[in-house]
Amino acid sequence: MEQRLRLEAKALLEQGKVSCVIGFEVGSLRFTTTPLITGDRDATGRLVLNPFMANNLSVYLPGIKEKVAVVAKGCDSRSIVSLIQDNKVAREDLVIIGVPCSGIIDLAKVEGLVDKDRDEIDDITRHGDKVLITVNGDKREYPVREVLFDNCLACETPTPQEYDILLGEPTAAAGDESRKAGQEKIARLKAMAPDERWAFWRSEFERCLRCYACRNICPACFCERCFVEETEPTWVMPIPRWQDNLLFQVTRNLHVAGRCTDCGECERACPVAIPLRSLAREMYDIVSELFNYRAGTDKEAPPLLTCYEPTDVEDFIR
Amino acid sequence: MGQDSEWQPRILGFLCRWCSYAGADLAGTSRKKYPPSIRVIQVPCSGRVDPLFILKALRLGFDGVLVSGCHPGDCHYQTGNYFTRRRMAITKRFLEYMGIDPRRLQVSWVSAAEGAKFAELATEMTRELKELGPNRLFTGEEQANGTKTAP
Ligand code: SF4
Ligand code: SF4
Ligand code: FES
Repeated sequence: MEQRLRLEAKALLEQGKVSCVIGFEVGSLRFTTTPLITGDRDATGRLVLNPFMANNLSVYLPGIKEKVAVVAKGCDSRSIVSLIQDNKVAREDLVIIGVPCSGIIDLAKVEGLVDKDRDEIDDITRHGDKVLITVNGDKREYPVREVLFDNCLACETPTPQEYDILLGEPTAAAGDESRKAGQEKIARLKAMAPDERWAFWRSEFERCLRCYACRNICPACFCERCFVEETEPTWVMPIPRWQDNLLFQVTRNLHVAGRCTDCGECERACPVAIPLRSLAREMYDIVSELFNYRAGTDKEAPPLLTCYEPTDVEDFIR
Repeated sequence: MGQDSEWQPRILGFLCRWCSYAGADLAGTSRKKYPPSIRVIQVPCSGRVDPLFILKALRLGFDGVLVSGCHPGDCHYQTGNYFTRRRMAITKRFLEYMGIDPRRLQVSWVSAAEGAKFAELATEMTRELKELGPNRLFTGEEQANGTKTAP
């Protein structure tokens, strides 16, 4: 597959169909990938496909003025469609290289499982629904479900629906058990009393640095000027106090409602490990429950909050 | 809650100028009684209300927020309130998930002729918020003691 990706990417550049390719290459840290953005046909030899390609590359697309090819997993391709819906990128400017995904490995889970730091792990390889982790020459096998990101466990669309080239066979959506595992953290939060839940989020946001990594990595956060940077009026104080941190994040989630595809990038980007996906996914589920709306599944559909149905929920209105 | 019985909640109301604001006005001119707990901001249409306004109000210590517009089909701009409805539906649900009591955000349709409905609504909401007690969400206080600290 990797070989085919390299050939396709090279051919696209050579034939002048695109001026740039956005994909993954091996990262500088072990068991990571890093985005590769290149117009150089020889550099396409560095493209990789592996279970560590976590980034949602669609974040680079808004505002792009040339034709580009982009590698997209299921969630990424939905983010791309969502950007098309918002007129942030034109379909005809894209060559979407779809990759049917079977889940991305969460290194933190691997570390927890073998109780070793990533630097002490020799190798991690995936074989179907098993993962082989080698530590000090000792090979251990685990079900892959134990090491995938929560959002992958609960993924509804691992195979891209929108693509020009599809690399490989479609993969199936997560089964009930897997989905349940992916939603476990959220279920625990929902089982709490409201006060307890507020206290939980409050303590999480006491750590927030307001680095805005979550916003910057999010493909659905594409505003050129964010409300947090407004000074007339100042909606949120720039000092990272928990009150304003929380207000920022709640508002951000409201802004990405109907655009968020539960790619999990916000949580991965957060340097202080705030469980941001537990916010994003809940909004995703609210939107799908109330409006049967799934972000990025229909490029002709108007964005969620720019349309309405006469029969929309009203039971909360007095 | 142990707070003193004189405590009055502070409600911030965003009322659209064509229906709900006129409705509130009618409540006044027809001398309907309702508690003085609600402060009103007139908006051109309920569709003007950004969820950020609601969060900011709660952040500033308002005990409840009311968003009110014309009945479906009656919006001065034809469809503004349909967008409000969607936006408020997700806002209310998401605030609840954060741990904010959903009674702190109320949404209503009040026409220019419904002065009595507005008065009732303000009375009801005040009563509910009294039950709920002061909004200490952003104060960092754990104990209910009837006082507020500036956020
Ligand atoms: S990435 Fe984490 S620390 Fe940075 S602004 Fe977002 S929530 Fe705060
Ligand atoms: S909010 Fe988080 S999970 Fe949702 S699209 Fe943005 S980065 Fe991905
Ligand atoms: S003008 Fe009243 S809701 Fe639009």
